[in-house]
Amino acid sequence: MSALGEVKIRVPASVARGSIARARALVIHPNERVERKDGKSVDRNYRFVNRVVVSYAGRDVAEFDTSTSIGENPSFGFAFRANEAGTLKVTFFDTHGGRFEGAAEVKVG
Amino acid sequence: MPERNLTRREVLTAVAAAGVASAWFPRAAVAQGSLANLAPEEPVDKTLQRLFGSRPIRDGASMINLELPLIAEDGGNVAMSVEVKSPMTPQSYVKAIYVLSDKNPRPLNAKFIFTPGSGQAYVATSLRLADTGDVRAVAEMQDGALLMVKRTVRVVVAGCAV
Repeated sequence: MSALGEVKIRVPASVARGSIARARALVIHPNERVERKDGKSVDRNYRFVNRVVVSYAGRDVAEFDTSTSIGENPSFGFAFRANEAGTLKVTFFDTHGGRFEGAAEVKVG
Repeated sequence: MPERNLTRREVLTAVAAAGVASAWFPRAAVAQGSLANLAPEEPVDKTLQRLFGSRPIRDGASMINLELPLIAEDGGNVAMSVEVKSPMTPQSYVKAIYVLSDKNPRPLNAKFIFTPGSGQAYVATSLRLADTGDVRAVAEMQDGALLMVKRTVRVVVAGCAV
């Protein structure tokens, strides 16, 4: 059992300098869906991941605006250009003020 | 001297306005998951209109590779990947990919924003689909050009209200 907010990142063991690498990041999170009652959406403060920021070697490379239409335990595969060795950082933000960060070192050789 | 005393009414109005301002802003910041902060419930045509106005959307079949299963057993977890075959240089790159599901009450699933540092306009995730229908990917290039592809997914068990 993993705890809410745990972030896992998978990166290739090593990538060639200047090449494009792919990684995958996952956060353990319920990503609540909108409840319906009598065909109407129930208005309350749903807890879901609404923003994901990917940075590599200190620079932002991508940003995702997400919604309740992403599955539970949201995971994202994405690409980045590895011009130098560095840290790949993925930060998930949720609607209840949660901030969940994961990092992985990328070897360039 | 132009100085004058405030009337009782002016004081009350100012106090009420300050009260409203201080009470309203923190609440808006906390309740981010309320329906008002979600995309509105609307048909997909309206979402496209809201996002892109009257800008022309071209067929992107030659540039966009949208992968989805033909049949999704569980609408609550449908694997999707999308890649736009485009260079990612500061002069020419894919600015964003929008993923929309026609049959979801709130059709905009996600907006993925890229930079030249992304290297590739590629993203993979899992979607919740409310019903059998089209899923669209719209790519927005840095010059504002729009390209779209669709795939139909048959949903066996709905992803419930999403």
